[in-house]
Amino acid sequence: MGMAGSGGDGIVSAGESLISAAAYEGYHAMMTKSFGSQVRGGESSCRVRLSTARVQNPGGTLDVAIALNWEDFLKFGAELPVSGDTVVIYDSKTGVEPGQIPLVGVTPKEVFAVPIGEMARRAAGTDKAKNSVVLGLIAGWFGIAPGSIVRGLNKKFAKKGPELLAANERAFHLGEEFAKEHPLATPRAMAPPTSSGSKMLTDGNDMCAAAAILAGCEFFGGYPITPSTEIMQFFTREVWKYGGAVVQAEDEIASIGAALGASFAGKKAMTATSGPGMALKTEILGLATIAELPLVIVNVQRGGPSTGLPTKPEQSDLFQAAFSASGDVLRPILAPTSVADTVDVTVEAFNIAEHYQTPVILLSDQEIAQRKETVDPIDTSRFTFIERKRPTAVDLQSYARFRMTEDGISPISHPGMKGGNYQGAGIEHNEQGNPTASGKVHAAMNAKRFRKLAPLQRRRDLFRIDGDPDAPFALVSWGSIAGVCREAYLRATAEGLAVKLLVPWLVYPVAEEIYREFFGSVRAGLVVEASHQGQLYRILRMYVDVPRGVTSFARDGANPIQPGDVVERLRAAALALQSPPSAQQIACEE
Amino acid sequence: MTTTNAPLPTYQAKDYKSELKPIWCPGCGDFGVVQAIYRALAAIGRPPHEIAFVSGIGCSSRIPGYTTAYGFNSVHGRALPIAQGIKVASPELLVLVAGGDGDGFSIGGGHVAHAVRRNTDITYIVMDNQIYGLTKGQLSPTSPKGLHTVTSEYGSLEEAVNPLLYVLAYGANFVAQGTPADMAGLAEVIEAAIRFPGFSFVNVQSPCVTFGEDDQQVKNHRATMQSLAKLGHDPTDRLAAMGLAQKYGKELHTGVFYKNPDPPPTMNALIKERQQVLSEKAPPRSRIFDRFLQT
Ligand SMILES: Cc1ncc(C[n+]2csc(CCOP(=O)(O)OP(=O)(O)O)c2C)c(N)n1
Ligand code: SF4
Repeated sequence: MGMAGSGGDGIVSAGESLISAAAYEGYHAMMTKSFGSQVRGGESSCRVRLSTARVQNPGGTLDVAIALNWEDFLKFGAELPVSGDTVVIYDSKTGVEPGQIPLVGVTPKEVFAVPIGEMARRAAGTDKAKNSVVLGLIAGWFGIAPGSIVRGLNKKFAKKGPELLAANERAFHLGEEFAKEHPLATPRAMAPPTSSGSKMLTDGNDMCAAAAILAGCEFFGGYPITPSTEIMQFFTREVWKYGGAVVQAEDEIASIGAALGASFAGKKAMTATSGPGMALKTEILGLATIAELPLVIVNVQRGGPSTGLPTKPEQSDLFQAAFSASGDVLRPILAPTSVADTVDVTVEAFNIAEHYQTPVILLSDQEIAQRKETVDPIDTSRFTFIERKRPTAVDLQSYARFRMTEDGISPISHPGMKGGNYQGAGIEHNEQGNPTASGKVHAAMNAKRFRKLAPLQRRRDLFRIDGDPDAPFALVSWGSIAGVCREAYLRATAEGLAVKLLVPWLVYPVAEEIYREFFGSVRAGLVVEASHQGQLYRILRMYVDVPRGVTSFARDGANPIQPGDVVERLRAAALALQSPPSAQQIACEE
Repeated sequence: MTTTNAPLPTYQAKDYKSELKPIWCPGCGDFGVVQAIYRALAAIGRPPHEIAFVSGIGCSSRIPGYTTAYGFNSVHGRALPIAQGIKVASPELLVLVAGGDGDGFSIGGGHVAHAVRRNTDITYIVMDNQIYGLTKGQLSPTSPKGLHTVTSEYGSLEEAVNPLLYVLAYGANFVAQGTPADMAGLAEVIEAAIRFPGFSFVNVQSPCVTFGEDDQQVKNHRATMQSLAKLGHDPTDRLAAMGLAQKYGKELHTGVFYKNPDPPPTMNALIKERQQVLSEKAPPRSRIFDRFLQT
C-alpha cells in the first residue's frame, strides 16, 4: 500500500497506525516513509507492506495507492509505482474524474474518488481527521484489523481527550461504511495472520542503539546527521540507566575522538554518522587502527557525494569505508540487511571490535535505519558478548602493550590498571608502545595488524548462503537491497531457475575462500546493489576471480530496485549463457 | 581489605619520569614544563597508573611519553576530545592534556570552547612557543603579526590569537600562565590547575630555542616576567583577569589570572547524578527490546 499527501495530511501517521495495528495482530509488516526536502510540511508519503509471511522488502508495484492530492503523489514517482493490478483511492476534492487520473501509461484495476476531506470535516469538524477516514477505508475494503486500529486510536488519543478520540472514531467508521457501501469489484481481503502474538515494531536505528547497549556499550559520541541521528537520540534517553554516557560533540571529529578516548579508558564505545560525517572521522579511524583500540563506527548511508540525497538510501559509501585511510589499513565492515538482523550485526560489530582490538564499521543505510518493521520478540540470552583480552597478573609483571603474539592480539590494559601503563600513539611504535622510525618494526607491526584479522575471512556464520550449492546462477547482494534479492531468489527458484544467493554481513575484508567456493559452480549471475558504480562488485573483483557471466546490477540510490527487475535480468543472463558471452560487461545503469 | 593503618604511598617527582629520552633540542622550554609536571604530580600524589595524559602532535605533544602515566600521543589537534571521552568514561582518573599552540589554537582551536563549556574535570596545558616547532619553523596562530618565518617570508599578515583571552571569554573557571623561567611558580600553577574541580587551562610560555625569536627565550622571560600575585591581582575577578590578559604578547604575566571561587558542578558530577536517578527504574539490559513490543 502506498499513500501520499502534503505534510499536514497525516498520511504517515495513518501508515503508522496501520502498521502498529497489524503488528499487534501478529502480521508481518514493513513501512518506509519518504519526504520532500522541506524540514516541515511539503509532500510526504509512506509505503506499508503487510503479510502473513516474513516481509523481505518494501515491495514492488502497489496493490493499493492512496492519493490525498495528485500533485504530491506524483512527486514520489518510482517510489509509488501503480500497475494494472492497483486499486487507486483518491480524494475527490481534487476534482479529477476517475477516468482522468494523471497516471501515464497505466490503467489501474479499480479507481475510487472518495470525499475524504469532506468526510473528515463531517465527522470531526476538521481536515485533520483525514488519516482516520483513510484507515477506515483500508479496514473496510481490505478487512485489515479494524479492532486493532480502533484500539490504536484509543491509545494515540488517550492523552488528547475524549472529544478528539470520539471524533476520530467517527471519521474511521465513516470511512469503513463508505467502503462497505462501495464494494470492490474483485474483493481482496487480507488473510488472518498465521502466527498470533504481538510483534515488536521498530526501525534499524533504534535496534542498532538498543543492541549496542545490550552489548555493553557505555559511551556514545555523536553529532547529528540524517539519517543516523535517531541512534544518538536513543542513547541520550537510555544509556545513563546502564551507567553510560553520551556526548553530543562539536563535530564528527570530536565525537569519534571522545569515543576513542572512552575505549582507551577501557569502555565499549560507539559513534554514528552518515557519509559526510564519516569523511571527517577518517583521521581518527586511522588512529584507532594503529593504536589497536576497539571502536564501533556506524555509517547510515544516504545518497552522496557530499550532501547528496540526505533522506534517501544508497550503498555508495563502501569504497569510503574500506579505503578511506592513510597508510595500510584493514578494518572490518559489517552490513545489516534488515531491521531485525541489525541487532545481530551490531552485537557482532562490538564482538569483533573488542576481540581484535580494531575499529569496525557498521554500514547501514537509510532504508534499514528508518523503515519500520515487525520483528519477532528477541531472546537476548542467545547472544554472547566478547570482552577485550586483558593482561594477566603475569603479563603485567613486564607488560608490553603491543607484544608480538602468534594471533596478533596483545592483551590490552587501560588507565587505572596498575602495571599496565603504556603510551597509546598514532606514531608507529614498538612492542612497548614507544615511538620508532624503524622500517623493520613498522613492517612487523603492519603484519601483526593484518594477521590478527585473518580469521575473520573464515567466519561462515557471517554469510547467508541459500540454494543448491551446484546451481549455475547466482545472486549476491548486501544491505537493504539483500531483502529485494531474497524475494527475487525465491521467485526465480519458483520459476525453476537453478539459482543460489549469497548475502554477506561481513562485507570487508573480502572472504576470498567463501566467495571462491560460492562462485565455483556459477556461470552467470548478478551482484545487486544501490549505487552508481556497483562498489561491492568492484571490490569483489579486486580479490576474487568473479566468473565472467556474473555482472553488476547497480542502480543509483532513490531509484528502487524491485524483485521483478532482478528476476528479469537473471532470466536474461540465463538466456545469454546459451550464446557465448562476448566480453565481460558491467551493466551499470545510466 | 587490610586492617593495618599503612600510610598511603607517597610519590616523588622521579616516580613520574619515564626512561624515554626526550627528542627535544637541548634548551627547549618543554624540558622545564615536563619537570614542573613531575613536581606537581608528586605534590598531588596520585599513582602514575591512575593518570591519563593525552596530547596531539608536535614537539610539545611528545610530553606524555616522558612520564610514567598512561599516555596517548594522538593526532594533531584532537587531544581535547579524546581526553574528555576518557574522563567521561572513567571519572576516577586524573586526566591531563597537553600540546602546542598550533595543536590547541589552530587545528584544534574549535575544540577548546567546547571543552570549556563541557567542564569535565581535566587540565589543559599549552606549550606556547609562537611557532611550529616539529615541522620546522612555520607561522603559528600565536605568532605576532609581521613575524618572518619560512611560511611568512615577508612577514605574517594575521593578528595573533590570544589564548588567555579566548579561554577566559569562553567562560573557563581556571586560567593561569607560567614559564620555565620560574620553575617553582610553574609547578605551582599546574598543581593548582589539577586540583581545581573542573576544566582548567595553563598557558606556558615555553620557548623554542631552535625556531623561536631571540627575545622570547628563557633568559628574557626571567628579566621581564611579572607575578600576578605581586601585582596585587585578585584572581576571583574575571573582568580584571581579562584586562590583564589583553596584554598577552606584550607583557609576560605569571600566575593565576582567574579562579572561580564558587566552581559550578563538573560534567562528571552531573552525569553521575543523572545515572543514579535513571538507573533506579531501569529494566535490565537484557530487556532493552521490550519497549518495542506492540502491547
Ligand atoms: C592533520 C595534520 N596536519 C599537519 C600535521 C603536521 N604537523 C605536525 S606538528 C604541527 C605543528 C606543530 O606546532 P605546535 O602544535 O605549535 O607544536 P610544537 O611543535 O611547536 O610544540 C604540524 C603542522 C600533522 N601531523 N597532522
Ligand atoms: S624545535 Fe623548538 S619546540 Fe621543538 S624541540 Fe626544538 S626547541 Fe623545542
